Amino acid sequence: MAENKHYPELRKRLTPGWWTANRHYAMYMVREWTSLFVALYSLIFIYGLSLWATGSRADFLNFLKNPAVIGFSLVALVFTMYHAATWFYLLGAVAPVKIGRSKTKPWQALILNLILLVIVSYLAIWLVVLR
Amino acid sequence: MKMETHKVAKLHAILWGIFSLGGMIAAFLLPVMIYMTAIAYPFGLWPFSRENPACPSCLTLVRDPSLLVTGHLLGALFVFVTIAGSLFHGIFRFQSALTEVGLLKYRRALEAVGYFIIFVGIIVLAYYLIAWYLNGTIT
Amino acid sequence: MSQEIATIRVTRYRPEKDSQPFFQEYKVPYRHDMVVLDALNYIKAELDGSLTYRWSCRMGVCGSCGANIDGEPKLTCASFLHEFKDRTITVEPMSHFPVIKDLVVDMEDFMEKLVKIKPWIIRKKDSLVEEGEYRQSSKELDRYQQFSSCINCMLCYAACPIYGLNEKFLGPAATALAYRYIEDSRDQGKDIRFPIVHEIEGVWECTLVGECSVVCPKGVDPMLAIQRTKILGATNAIKSILMPRGGR
Repeated sequence: MAENKHYPELRKRLTPGWWTANRHYAMYMVREWTSLFVALYSLIFIYGLSLWATGSRADFLNFLKNPAVIGFSLVALVFTMYHAATWFYLLGAVAPVKIGRSKTKPWQALILNLILLVIVSYLAIWLVVLR
Repeated sequence: MKMETHKVAKLHAILWGIFSLGGMIAAFLLPVMIYMTAIAYPFGLWPFSRENPACPSCLTLVRDPSLLVTGHLLGALFVFVTIAGSLFHGIFRFQSALTEVGLLKYRRALEAVGYFIIFVGIIVLAYYLIAWYLNGTIT
Repeated sequence: MSQEIATIRVTRYRPEKDSQPFFQEYKVPYRHDMVVLDALNYIKAELDGSLTYRWSCRMGVCGSCGANIDGEPKLTCASFLHEFKDRTITVEPMSHFPVIKDLVVDMEDFMEKLVKIKPWIIRKKDSLVEEGEYRQSSKELDRYQQFSSCINCMLCYAACPIYGLNEKFLGPAATALAYRYIEDSRDQGKDIRFPIVHEIEGVWECTLVGECSVVCPKGVDPMLAIQRTKILGATNAIKSILMPRGGR
Protein backbone atom coordinates (compact mmCIF):
# COMPACT_ATOMS: atom_id res chain seq x y z
CA MET A 1 0.00 0.00 0.00
CA ALA A 2 1.57 3.26 -1.06
CA GLU A 3 0.90 6.14 1.27
CA ASN A 4 1.92 9.62 0.38
CA LYS A 5 1.28 11.09 3.84
CA HIS A 6 2.19 9.60 7.17
CA TYR A 7 0.07 10.37 10.17
CA PRO A 8 1.00 9.47 13.74
CA GLU A 9 -0.13 5.94 14.44
CA LEU A 10 -3.14 5.73 16.71
CA ARG A 11 -3.36 2.55 18.65
CA LYS A 12 -4.90 1.98 22.06
CA ARG A 13 -2.33 0.29 24.25
CA LEU A 14 -3.35 -2.03 27.05
CA THR A 15 -2.81 -0.60 30.50
CA PRO A 16 -1.63 -2.88 33.35
CA GLY A 17 -5.21 -2.91 34.59
CA TRP A 18 -6.71 -4.21 31.31
CA TRP A 19 -8.09 -7.30 33.03
CA THR A 20 -10.66 -5.25 34.96
CA ALA A 21 -12.48 -4.52 31.69
CA ASN A 22 -14.75 -7.55 31.88
CA ARG A 23 -15.56 -10.54 34.07
CA HIS A 24 -13.83 -13.09 31.81
CA TYR A 25 -10.55 -11.20 31.92
CA ALA A 26 -10.80 -10.76 35.70
CA MET A 27 -11.47 -14.47 36.27
CA TYR A 28 -8.55 -15.23 34.01
CA MET A 29 -6.23 -13.02 36.03
CA VAL A 30 -7.33 -14.64 39.30
CA ARG A 31 -6.67 -18.03 37.69
CA GLU A 32 -3.16 -17.00 36.67
CA TRP A 33 -2.36 -15.54 40.10
CA THR A 34 -3.22 -18.83 41.81
CA SER A 35 0.27 -19.77 40.61
CA LEU A 36 1.80 -17.36 43.13
CA PHE A 37 0.30 -19.37 46.00
CA VAL A 38 1.23 -22.70 44.41
CA ALA A 39 4.84 -21.53 44.07
CA LEU A 40 5.04 -19.95 47.54
CA TYR A 41 3.63 -23.02 49.26
CA SER A 42 6.25 -25.18 47.53
CA LEU A 43 9.04 -22.83 48.59
CA ILE A 44 7.74 -22.69 52.18
CA PHE A 45 7.63 -26.49 52.32
CA ILE A 46 11.21 -26.69 51.07
CA TYR A 47 12.18 -24.15 53.73
CA GLY A 48 10.46 -26.35 56.35
CA LEU A 49 12.49 -29.33 55.19
CA SER A 50 15.67 -27.26 55.46
CA LEU A 51 14.84 -26.59 59.13
CA TRP A 52 14.73 -30.33 59.60
CA ALA A 53 17.90 -30.96 57.62
CA THR A 54 19.88 -28.37 59.55
CA GLY A 55 18.15 -28.90 62.89
CA SER A 56 15.77 -31.58 64.01
CA ARG A 57 12.53 -33.24 62.98
CA ALA A 58 10.77 -31.30 65.74
CA ASP A 59 11.82 -28.00 64.12
CA PHE A 60 10.07 -29.09 60.94
CA LEU A 61 6.92 -30.17 62.81
CA ASN A 62 6.82 -26.98 64.88
CA PHE A 63 7.21 -24.97 61.71
CA LEU A 64 4.10 -26.69 60.32
CA LYS A 65 2.21 -25.71 63.49
CA ASN A 66 3.18 -22.07 63.16
CA PRO A 67 -0.11 -20.13 62.83
CA ALA A 68 1.29 -17.95 60.03
CA VAL A 69 2.27 -21.04 58.05
CA ILE A 70 -1.14 -22.63 58.66
CA GLY A 71 -2.93 -19.41 57.70
CA PHE A 72 -0.98 -18.99 54.50
CA SER A 73 -1.39 -22.67 53.61
CA LEU A 74 -5.16 -22.45 54.01
CA VAL A 75 -5.29 -19.51 51.62
CA ALA A 76 -2.97 -21.44 49.30
CA LEU A 77 -5.33 -24.43 49.48
CA VAL A 78 -8.26 -22.29 48.34
CA PHE A 79 -6.26 -20.94 45.40
CA THR A 80 -4.91 -24.39 44.57
CA MET A 81 -8.45 -25.73 44.43
CA TYR A 82 -9.40 -22.85 42.14
CA HIS A 83 -6.41 -23.75 39.98
CA ALA A 84 -7.51 -27.40 39.98
CA ALA A 85 -11.10 -26.58 39.02
CA THR A 86 -10.09 -24.24 36.17
CA TRP A 87 -7.41 -26.69 35.03
CA PHE A 88 -9.93 -29.55 34.90
CA TYR A 89 -12.41 -27.38 33.03
CA LEU A 90 -9.84 -26.34 30.44
CA LEU A 91 -8.67 -29.93 30.16
CA GLY A 92 -12.22 -30.76 29.12
CA ALA A 93 -12.23 -27.90 26.63
CA VAL A 94 -8.90 -28.82 25.08
CA ALA A 95 -8.96 -32.62 25.22
CA PRO A 96 -12.57 -33.82 25.35
CA VAL A 97 -13.00 -37.55 25.89
CA LYS A 98 -15.11 -39.40 23.37
CA ILE A 99 -17.83 -41.48 24.91
CA GLY A 100 -19.67 -43.33 22.20
CA ARG A 101 -20.55 -40.75 19.59
CA SER A 102 -20.62 -37.70 21.79
CA LYS A 103 -17.72 -35.82 23.33
CA THR A 104 -17.57 -34.76 26.97
CA LYS A 105 -18.44 -31.16 27.71
CA PRO A 106 -15.96 -29.09 29.78
CA TRP A 107 -18.24 -29.07 32.84
CA GLN A 108 -18.54 -32.86 32.65
CA ALA A 109 -14.75 -33.10 32.55
CA LEU A 110 -14.66 -30.81 35.59
CA ILE A 111 -16.94 -33.11 37.59
CA LEU A 112 -15.18 -36.30 36.44
CA ASN A 113 -11.79 -34.88 37.34
CA LEU A 114 -12.99 -33.64 40.74
CA ILE A 115 -14.10 -37.19 41.51
CA LEU A 116 -10.74 -38.40 40.26
CA LEU A 117 -9.05 -35.82 42.53
CA VAL A 118 -10.78 -37.31 45.59
CA ILE A 119 -9.68 -40.81 44.58
CA VAL A 120 -6.09 -39.71 43.87
CA SER A 121 -5.97 -37.82 47.18
CA TYR A 122 -7.11 -40.86 49.11
CA LEU A 123 -4.59 -43.05 47.29
CA ALA A 124 -1.82 -40.56 48.09
CA ILE A 125 -2.69 -40.55 51.80
CA TRP A 126 -2.88 -44.32 51.80
CA LEU A 127 0.42 -44.62 49.99
CA VAL A 128 2.50 -42.22 52.06
CA VAL A 129 0.83 -42.35 55.49
CA LEU A 130 -1.46 -45.26 56.12
CA ARG A 131 0.41 -48.06 54.49
CA MET B 1 26.27 -17.17 23.73
CA LYS B 2 23.54 -17.25 21.18
CA MET B 3 21.40 -20.24 20.42
CA GLU B 4 19.82 -20.80 17.05
CA THR B 5 16.18 -19.76 16.94
CA HIS B 6 14.83 -23.23 16.38
CA LYS B 7 16.77 -24.53 19.37
CA VAL B 8 15.37 -21.77 21.58
CA ALA B 9 11.90 -22.64 20.32
CA LYS B 10 12.49 -26.32 21.05
CA LEU B 11 13.67 -25.52 24.56
CA HIS B 12 10.56 -23.42 25.02
CA ALA B 13 8.39 -26.31 23.86
CA ILE B 14 9.98 -28.61 26.43
CA LEU B 15 9.65 -26.05 29.22
CA TRP B 16 5.99 -25.67 28.30
CA GLY B 17 5.62 -29.45 28.48
CA ILE B 18 7.06 -29.49 32.01
CA PHE B 19 4.83 -26.54 32.94
CA SER B 20 1.75 -28.50 31.81
CA LEU B 21 2.85 -31.59 33.66
CA GLY B 22 3.41 -29.37 36.71
CA GLY B 23 -0.10 -27.97 36.30
CA MET B 24 -1.45 -31.51 36.33
CA ILE B 25 0.57 -32.29 39.47
CA ALA B 26 -0.50 -29.08 41.22
CA ALA B 27 -4.13 -29.86 40.42
CA PHE B 28 -4.14 -33.52 41.43
CA LEU B 29 -1.51 -33.82 44.18
CA LEU B 30 -0.96 -30.42 45.77
CA PRO B 31 -4.42 -30.11 47.45
CA VAL B 32 -3.93 -33.33 49.44
CA MET B 33 -0.39 -32.28 50.31
CA ILE B 34 -1.61 -28.97 51.74
CA TYR B 35 -4.46 -30.74 53.51
CA MET B 36 -2.03 -33.08 55.25
CA THR B 37 0.52 -30.46 56.31
CA ALA B 38 -1.71 -27.49 57.10
CA ILE B 39 -5.02 -29.00 58.24
CA ALA B 40 -4.74 -32.65 59.20
CA TYR B 41 -1.50 -32.37 61.15
CA PRO B 42 -1.89 -29.11 63.11
CA PHE B 43 -5.55 -29.81 63.89
CA GLY B 44 -5.03 -33.50 64.61
CA LEU B 45 -7.39 -34.80 61.94
CA TRP B 46 -7.33 -37.98 59.88
CA PRO B 47 -4.91 -39.45 58.82
CA PHE B 48 -2.78 -37.92 61.58
CA SER B 49 -3.49 -38.54 65.24
CA ARG B 50 -3.53 -35.92 67.97
CA GLU B 51 -1.14 -36.32 70.86
CA ASN B 52 -3.21 -37.18 73.91
CA PRO B 53 -1.79 -35.74 77.16
CA ALA B 54 -4.06 -38.01 79.26
CA CYS B 55 -2.70 -41.13 77.70
CA PRO B 56 1.02 -40.95 76.96
CA SER B 57 1.14 -44.61 76.05
CA CYS B 58 -1.26 -43.97 73.18
CA LEU B 59 1.59 -42.14 71.49
CA THR B 60 3.00 -45.37 70.17
CA LEU B 61 1.18 -44.89 66.87
CA VAL B 62 1.52 -41.14 66.42
CA ARG B 63 1.68 -40.23 62.77
CA ASP B 64 2.96 -36.87 61.62
CA PRO B 65 3.98 -35.31 58.29
CA SER B 66 7.59 -36.37 58.70
CA LEU B 67 6.18 -39.68 57.50
CA LEU B 68 5.60 -38.01 54.14
CA VAL B 69 9.32 -37.80 53.67
CA THR B 70 10.77 -40.63 55.68
CA GLY B 71 7.97 -43.20 55.63
CA HIS B 72 9.39 -44.95 52.65
CA LEU B 73 10.83 -44.22 49.25
CA LEU B 74 7.43 -43.82 47.59
CA GLY B 75 6.50 -41.12 50.09
CA ALA B 76 9.70 -39.23 49.36
CA LEU B 77 9.00 -39.58 45.65
CA PHE B 78 5.48 -38.24 46.20
CA VAL B 79 6.89 -35.21 48.01
CA PHE B 80 9.50 -34.62 45.33
CA VAL B 81 7.09 -34.88 42.40
CA THR B 82 4.43 -32.73 44.09
CA ILE B 83 6.71 -29.97 45.33
CA ALA B 84 9.06 -29.84 42.33
CA GLY B 85 6.16 -29.98 39.83
CA SER B 86 4.16 -27.33 41.67
CA LEU B 87 7.18 -25.08 42.06
CA PHE B 88 7.99 -25.23 38.34
CA HIS B 89 4.37 -24.69 37.37
CA GLY B 90 3.82 -21.87 39.84
CA ILE B 91 6.95 -19.87 39.04
CA PHE B 92 6.67 -20.37 35.27
CA ARG B 93 3.08 -19.20 35.26
CA PHE B 94 3.59 -16.36 37.70
CA GLN B 95 6.42 -14.75 35.78
CA SER B 96 4.27 -14.91 32.68
CA ALA B 97 1.37 -13.35 34.62
CA LEU B 98 3.65 -10.51 35.67
CA THR B 99 4.49 -9.76 32.02
CA GLU B 100 0.76 -9.27 31.47
CA VAL B 101 0.39 -6.52 34.06
CA GLY B 102 2.92 -4.11 32.66
CA LEU B 103 6.25 -5.87 33.14
CA LEU B 104 6.61 -7.19 29.58
CA LYS B 105 9.76 -5.17 29.04
CA TYR B 106 11.43 -6.94 31.97
CA ARG B 107 10.54 -10.37 30.63
CA ARG B 108 14.10 -11.65 30.23
CA ALA B 109 14.98 -10.59 33.78
CA LEU B 110 11.79 -12.16 35.17
CA GLU B 111 12.56 -15.40 33.35
CA ALA B 112 16.11 -15.42 34.66
CA VAL B 113 14.97 -14.89 38.26
CA GLY B 114 12.15 -17.43 37.81
CA TYR B 115 14.33 -20.21 36.45
CA PHE B 116 16.94 -19.48 39.11
CA ILE B 117 14.34 -19.97 41.88
CA ILE B 118 13.06 -23.16 40.23
CA PHE B 119 16.58 -24.52 39.80
CA VAL B 120 17.72 -23.77 43.35
CA GLY B 121 14.45 -25.00 44.88
CA ILE B 122 14.50 -28.32 43.07
CA ILE B 123 18.22 -28.89 43.73
CA VAL B 124 17.81 -28.20 47.46
CA LEU B 125 14.76 -30.46 47.67
CA ALA B 126 16.49 -33.27 45.80
CA TYR B 127 19.63 -32.83 47.91
CA TYR B 128 17.78 -33.30 51.21
CA LEU B 129 15.81 -36.27 49.94
CA ILE B 130 18.83 -38.02 48.44
CA ALA B 131 20.93 -37.33 51.54
CA TRP B 132 18.21 -38.74 53.79
CA TYR B 133 17.88 -41.75 51.54
CA LEU B 134 21.62 -42.40 51.56
CA ASN B 135 21.99 -42.11 55.34
CA GLY B 136 19.04 -44.38 55.94
CA THR B 137 16.51 -41.83 57.23
CA ILE B 138 14.32 -42.73 54.28
CA THR B 139 13.81 -46.45 54.24
CA MET C 1 -47.07 7.76 16.25
CA SER C 2 -43.74 9.21 17.27
CA GLN C 3 -40.61 7.69 15.76
CA GLU C 4 -38.43 5.74 18.20
CA ILE C 5 -34.78 6.76 18.35
CA ALA C 6 -31.50 4.90 18.92
CA THR C 7 -28.38 6.74 20.02
CA ILE C 8 -25.13 5.68 18.39
CA ARG C 9 -21.85 6.95 19.84
CA VAL C 10 -19.14 6.44 17.28
CA THR C 11 -15.38 6.95 17.57
CA ARG C 12 -14.26 9.63 15.14
CA TYR C 13 -10.62 9.93 14.20
CA ARG C 14 -9.49 11.96 11.20
CA PRO C 15 -5.69 11.90 11.28
CA GLU C 16 -5.42 14.90 8.93
CA LYS C 17 -7.53 17.05 11.30
CA ASP C 18 -7.53 15.52 14.79
CA SER C 19 -4.63 14.57 16.99
CA GLN C 20 -6.93 12.55 19.24
CA PRO C 21 -10.03 10.48 18.57
CA PHE C 22 -13.36 11.66 20.00
CA PHE C 23 -16.90 10.36 20.26
CA GLN C 24 -19.64 11.72 18.07
CA GLU C 25 -23.27 11.01 18.89
CA TYR C 26 -25.91 10.36 16.26
CA LYS C 27 -29.64 9.90 16.69
CA VAL C 28 -30.95 7.26 14.35
CA PRO C 29 -34.60 6.27 13.76
CA TYR C 30 -35.02 2.86 15.34
CA ARG C 31 -36.60 -0.26 13.89
CA HIS C 32 -36.75 -3.57 15.72
CA ASP C 33 -34.93 -5.47 12.95
CA MET C 34 -32.04 -3.01 12.74
CA VAL C 35 -28.42 -4.04 13.25
CA VAL C 36 -25.57 -1.69 14.16
CA LEU C 37 -24.38 -1.70 10.55
CA ASP C 38 -27.83 -0.46 9.40
CA ALA C 39 -27.49 2.40 11.86
CA LEU C 40 -24.00 3.26 10.55
CA ASN C 41 -25.30 3.14 6.98
CA TYR C 42 -28.16 5.46 7.96
CA ILE C 43 -25.70 7.90 9.51
CA LYS C 44 -23.50 7.87 6.42
CA ALA C 45 -26.43 8.28 4.01
CA GLU C 46 -28.56 10.78 5.93
CA LEU C 47 -26.54 12.49 8.67
CA ASP C 48 -22.82 12.57 8.07
CA GLY C 49 -21.22 11.33 4.89
CA SER C 50 -17.74 11.62 6.37
CA LEU C 51 -18.16 8.66 8.76
CA THR C 52 -15.80 5.91 7.63
CA TYR C 53 -16.11 2.17 8.29
CA ARG C 54 -15.64 -1.11 6.45
CA TRP C 55 -18.48 -3.33 5.38
CA SER C 56 -19.49 -5.48 2.48
CA CYS C 57 -21.83 -8.45 2.69
CA ARG C 58 -23.99 -7.39 5.71
CA MET C 59 -24.68 -11.05 6.48
CA GLY C 60 -21.73 -12.34 8.51
CA VAL C 61 -19.81 -13.87 5.63
CA CYS C 62 -17.20 -11.33 4.55
CA GLY C 63 -15.78 -10.49 7.96
CA SER C 64 -15.05 -6.85 7.20
CA CYS C 65 -17.41 -5.01 9.55
CA GLY C 66 -15.91 -5.90 12.94
CA ALA C 67 -15.88 -3.24 15.66
CA ASN C 68 -15.86 -2.96 19.43
CA ILE C 69 -19.52 -2.58 20.30
CA ASP C 70 -20.02 -1.49 23.91
CA GLY C 71 -16.46 -2.69 24.45
CA GLU C 72 -16.89 -6.17 22.98
CA PRO C 73 -15.53 -7.19 19.58
CA LYS C 74 -18.51 -8.01 17.35
CA LEU C 75 -19.61 -7.90 13.73
CA THR C 76 -21.70 -4.76 13.30
CA CYS C 77 -23.91 -6.64 10.83
CA ALA C 78 -24.75 -9.31 13.40
CA SER C 79 -25.48 -7.07 16.40
CA PHE C 80 -29.13 -6.08 16.71
CA LEU C 81 -29.89 -2.72 18.26
CA HIS C 82 -32.62 -4.27 20.41
CA GLU C 83 -29.97 -6.31 22.24
CA PHE C 84 -28.62 -3.15 23.86
CA LYS C 85 -30.03 -1.36 26.87
CA ASP C 86 -31.72 2.00 26.22
CA ARG C 87 -30.78 1.65 22.57
CA THR C 88 -27.63 3.60 23.32
CA ILE C 89 -24.67 1.96 21.71
CA THR C 90 -20.97 2.82 21.66
CA VAL C 91 -19.10 1.76 18.55
CA GLU C 92 -15.31 1.89 18.59
CA PRO C 93 -12.66 0.52 16.25
CA MET C 94 -11.39 -2.96 17.11
CA SER C 95 -8.81 -2.90 19.92
CA HIS C 96 -5.11 -3.57 19.46
CA PHE C 97 -4.93 -2.46 15.80
CA PRO C 98 -3.64 0.88 14.55
CA VAL C 99 -6.57 3.08 13.53
CA ILE C 100 -6.49 4.55 10.04
CA LYS C 101 -9.71 6.54 10.18
CA ASP C 102 -12.84 6.43 12.36
CA LEU C 103 -13.67 2.71 12.59
CA VAL C 104 -11.19 1.54 9.97
CA VAL C 105 -8.15 -0.28 11.31
CA ASP C 106 -4.91 -1.30 9.65
CA MET C 107 -5.07 -5.02 8.80
CA GLU C 108 -1.52 -5.27 7.49
CA ASP C 109 -0.12 -7.16 10.48
CA PHE C 110 -2.82 -9.82 10.32
CA MET C 111 -2.49 -10.18 6.56
CA GLU C 112 1.23 -10.81 6.94
CA LYS C 113 0.61 -13.46 9.59
CA LEU C 114 -2.04 -15.10 7.46
CA VAL C 115 0.37 -15.55 4.57
CA LYS C 116 3.18 -16.58 6.90
CA ILE C 117 1.44 -19.79 7.99
CA LYS C 118 0.95 -20.80 4.32
CA PRO C 119 -2.82 -21.29 4.26
CA TRP C 120 -2.92 -23.76 1.41
CA ILE C 121 -2.43 -27.48 0.98
CA ILE C 122 1.25 -28.35 0.68
CA ARG C 123 2.12 -31.59 -1.11
CA LYS C 124 5.58 -33.09 -1.29
CA LYS C 125 4.86 -33.74 -4.94
CA ASP C 126 1.76 -32.41 -6.66
CA SER C 127 -0.10 -35.12 -8.49
CA LEU C 128 -1.32 -34.64 -12.03
CA VAL C 129 -4.85 -33.43 -12.64
CA GLU C 130 -5.63 -36.70 -14.47
CA GLU C 131 -4.88 -38.64 -11.29
CA GLY C 132 -7.96 -37.13 -9.72
CA GLU C 133 -8.63 -35.37 -6.46
CA TYR C 134 -7.01 -36.01 -3.07
CA ARG C 135 -9.70 -38.05 -1.38
CA GLN C 136 -10.70 -37.66 2.24
CA SER C 137 -13.18 -39.43 4.52
CA SER C 138 -15.83 -37.54 6.47
CA LYS C 139 -14.01 -38.50 9.67
CA GLU C 140 -10.85 -36.86 8.37
CA LEU C 141 -12.89 -33.80 7.42
CA ASP C 142 -14.31 -33.60 10.95
CA ARG C 143 -10.83 -33.15 12.38
CA TYR C 144 -10.38 -29.70 10.89
CA GLN C 145 -13.70 -28.53 9.47
CA GLN C 146 -14.60 -25.99 12.18
CA PHE C 147 -11.23 -24.26 11.78
CA SER C 148 -11.89 -23.72 8.07
CA SER C 149 -14.91 -21.52 8.86
CA CYS C 150 -12.73 -18.52 9.73
CA ILE C 151 -13.75 -15.36 7.87
CA ASN C 152 -10.67 -13.34 8.88
CA CYS C 153 -12.72 -10.76 10.71
CA MET C 154 -9.96 -10.35 13.33
CA LEU C 155 -12.42 -10.13 16.22
CA CYS C 156 -10.33 -12.79 18.01
CA TYR C 157 -7.30 -10.50 17.79
CA ALA C 158 -9.31 -7.59 19.18
CA ALA C 159 -10.35 -9.86 22.08
CA CYS C 160 -6.86 -11.22 22.77
CA PRO C 161 -4.99 -9.28 25.48
CA ILE C 162 -1.83 -11.22 24.70
CA TYR C 163 -1.87 -9.81 21.17
CA GLY C 164 -2.68 -6.40 22.67
CA LEU C 165 0.43 -6.61 24.83
CA ASN C 166 2.73 -8.06 22.20
CA GLU C 167 1.78 -7.74 18.55
CA LYS C 168 4.54 -10.14 17.53
CA PHE C 169 2.32 -12.96 18.81
CA LEU C 170 1.05 -15.02 15.88
CA GLY C 171 -2.42 -14.89 17.41
CA PRO C 172 -5.67 -16.86 17.30
CA ALA C 173 -6.98 -16.81 13.71
CA ALA C 174 -3.62 -17.42 12.03
CA THR C 175 -2.86 -20.37 14.33
CA ALA C 176 -6.36 -21.78 13.91
CA LEU C 177 -5.87 -21.69 10.16
CA ALA C 178 -2.40 -23.24 10.44
CA TYR C 179 -3.93 -25.99 12.56
CA ARG C 180 -6.64 -26.46 9.95
CA TYR C 181 -3.91 -27.48 7.47
CA ILE C 182 -1.89 -29.41 10.04
CA GLU C 183 -4.96 -31.57 10.71
CA ASP C 184 -5.90 -31.91 7.04
CA SER C 185 -5.12 -35.47 5.90
CA ARG C 186 -4.31 -34.19 2.40
CA ASP C 187 -1.65 -31.82 3.65
CA GLN C 188 2.01 -32.86 3.81
CA GLY C 189 3.49 -29.57 4.98
CA LYS C 190 4.03 -30.25 8.69
CA ASP C 191 7.80 -29.89 8.40
CA ILE C 192 7.34 -26.46 6.84
CA ARG C 193 4.49 -25.25 9.04
CA PHE C 194 5.62 -26.51 12.46
CA PRO C 195 8.71 -24.27 12.67
CA ILE C 196 6.46 -21.27 11.93
CA VAL C 197 3.81 -21.93 14.56
CA HIS C 198 6.34 -23.23 17.09
CA GLU C 199 8.47 -20.11 16.95
CA ILE C 200 8.91 -18.32 20.28
CA GLU C 201 6.34 -15.68 19.29
CA GLY C 202 4.12 -18.39 17.82
CA VAL C 203 1.82 -20.46 19.99
CA TRP C 204 3.92 -20.25 23.18
CA GLU C 205 2.84 -16.69 23.89
CA CYS C 206 -0.76 -17.84 24.38
CA THR C 207 -1.79 -18.23 28.02
CA LEU C 208 -5.29 -19.55 27.38
CA VAL C 209 -7.36 -16.48 28.12
CA GLY C 210 -9.97 -18.12 25.91
CA GLU C 211 -11.71 -14.91 24.83
CA CYS C 212 -10.90 -15.57 21.15
CA SER C 213 -13.19 -18.59 21.13
CA VAL C 214 -15.91 -16.62 22.93
CA VAL C 215 -16.09 -13.77 20.41
CA CYS C 216 -15.70 -15.80 17.18
CA PRO C 217 -18.85 -15.21 15.11
CA LYS C 218 -18.34 -18.44 13.15
CA GLY C 219 -17.96 -20.86 16.06
CA VAL C 220 -14.26 -21.46 15.44
CA ASP C 221 -12.32 -22.43 18.58
CA PRO C 222 -8.85 -20.88 18.14
CA MET C 223 -8.02 -21.58 21.78
CA LEU C 224 -8.35 -25.30 21.07
CA ALA C 225 -6.23 -25.04 17.91
CA ILE C 226 -3.46 -23.21 19.77
CA GLN C 227 -3.43 -25.70 22.66
CA ARG C 228 -3.35 -28.69 20.30
CA THR C 229 -0.53 -27.05 18.36
CA LYS C 230 1.38 -26.54 21.62
CA ILE C 231 0.90 -30.18 22.56
CA LEU C 232 2.19 -31.24 19.13
CA GLY C 233 5.19 -28.94 19.56
CA ALA C 234 6.03 -30.23 23.03
CA THR C 235 5.70 -33.89 22.05
CA ASN C 236 7.83 -33.35 18.94
CA ALA C 237 10.52 -31.59 20.96
CA ILE C 238 10.60 -34.32 23.61
CA LYS C 239 10.62 -37.02 20.94
CA SER C 240 13.51 -35.38 19.11
CA ILE C 241 15.53 -35.42 22.33
CA LEU C 242 14.71 -39.01 23.22
CA MET C 243 15.20 -40.21 19.66
CA PRO C 244 17.58 -37.73 17.99
CA ARG C 245 17.83 -39.84 14.88
CA GLY C 246 14.25 -41.06 14.72
CA GLY C 247 11.78 -39.07 12.69
CA ARG C 248 8.71 -37.35 14.09
